[in-house]
Amino acid sequence: MAGPEVNIDRGKSLLLKDQGNKCFQAGDYAGAEALYTKAINHDPTNPLLYTNRAMSLLSLSKKGSSEPQDPSAIPVLTPIQIENYEKVIADSLSSIRLHAENMKAYYFLAQAQIALHRPSEALASAKEAHRLCVEEIHKGGKGASSIGPITELVLRCKKEAWEAKEKERLDAQGGLVRELQVLLEKERDRRVEELHSQAATEMTDGEGVNVPVEEQKITEEYARKIEEVRNMGVAAGTVGEEGKRRNVPDWCIDDITFSVMVDPVVTKTGQSYDRSSLMEHLKRTPTDPLTREPLRMEDLRPNLALKEACDEFLEQNGWAVDW
Amino acid sequence: MATGFATKRLSKELSKIHGNLPPGITLVSAEGFQEWLLDIQVLDSNPLYMNQTYRLKFKFSPSYPIEPPEVTFVSSPDRPIPMHPHIYSNGIICLDLLGQQGWSPVQNVESVCMSLQSMLTGNTKNERPEGDANFVANNRRRPRDIDFYYHDNTV
Repeated sequence: MAGPEVNIDRGKSLLLKDQGNKCFQAGDYAGAEALYTKAINHDPTNPLLYTNRAMSLLSLSKKGSSEPQDPSAIPVLTPIQIENYEKVIADSLSSIRLHAENMKAYYFLAQAQIALHRPSEALASAKEAHRLCVEEIHKGGKGASSIGPITELVLRCKKEAWEAKEKERLDAQGGLVRELQVLLEKERDRRVEELHSQAATEMTDGEGVNVPVEEQKITEEYARKIEEVRNMGVAAGTVGEEGKRRNVPDWCIDDITFSVMVDPVVTKTGQSYDRSSLMEHLKRTPTDPLTREPLRMEDLRPNLALKEACDEFLEQNGWAVDW
Repeated sequence: MATGFATKRLSKELSKIHGNLPPGITLVSAEGFQEWLLDIQVLDSNPLYMNQTYRLKFKFSPSYPIEPPEVTFVSSPDRPIPMHPHIYSNGIICLDLLGQQGWSPVQNVESVCMSLQSMLTGNTKNERPEGDANFVANNRRRPRDIDFYYHDNTV
């Protein structure tokens, strides 16, 4: 990629950038970050400097957390990590401002956003990175090596977006259960009161009701009802989370990775695969996985309707990312 | 490609397989995602294989299923190596499906087992491949690196 034409001290800036790259390769991310910052001071118009600094900050933050490889654990971020991720976001946006079609910047942006638990923003960024990556592949660029990780990131964002929505739904349901419980308790108290006032007026007659026994009955009846409402809430929650968990329809599954497809492409057999995994196969053997006839990347066509269907399925069933 | 490629796919295969394999195929062990053992039986009345159980060892590389698994028969006192003109007496199998050329990433553990089952079912020759003794004595290569001559893909 070429840098911009106009700059303040481009030579010096590039020199610092090279030094930064060396630090980065040696695993000295803090050193790399400092050098890229200096490079930016000498040339604030080079978009690569911002993405490089973002990459150093990302590596720095990931190094800080104990289990960076485990996507299922929700890591607690330290204030420094949060600050770093915010800087990654700022740098990515600066880079995009200087160079719009910027796959790397969107990829880093999405990673920082998901780390900060902003799944819907992250998903939008990851999708943009994916779009740019596919474009780059068509132009013969080196995007091919990024399509796998970007596809994975899109899936992870989809899962987190679904989880956030699901949590909201469960919270709302929990709220409803609590509200019903309060209403039932009020009704119970009203009936107990009614019983007492009834007993007071019937005092004069000889055969009044046995107040303590009746009160006990009412209390028990409402305790049972409250318990039932709670159980219904639990059951409904289970239906949402566990009950549906078992069934991933075959049509949305990529036959190579067995994952839900993000970007289905169709071959002339009519079979669809996810672009990322089929490309991985074609790199090794340029043949159709089913027929073994010659197959090139250029022969693939996006399967738009299936993509829509997969998107919609994941929106409702984010758990399927890790089925 | 990320290192989790094979692991993810295999964990999904495993959850599909569990308690859900075709007749005559049993999962013996799948500890980790590098090596699995499965038992297969030939269910028709082919006298060569009747009432026998054979054990298969699958070895997976980190880039499975882009790369084929290494599949061999392993012997133990009650698990012999099946007699077949494409199976060497050390358990190495000559099947194009398992070679670099014949493999396809849409194949999976279950489909490989089924292919081997049918490879046995259709066989009538009670013999080893040509040069078996010599091959078994001298071969030091990994099965996947051997350039078998697939002279007869119908067997």
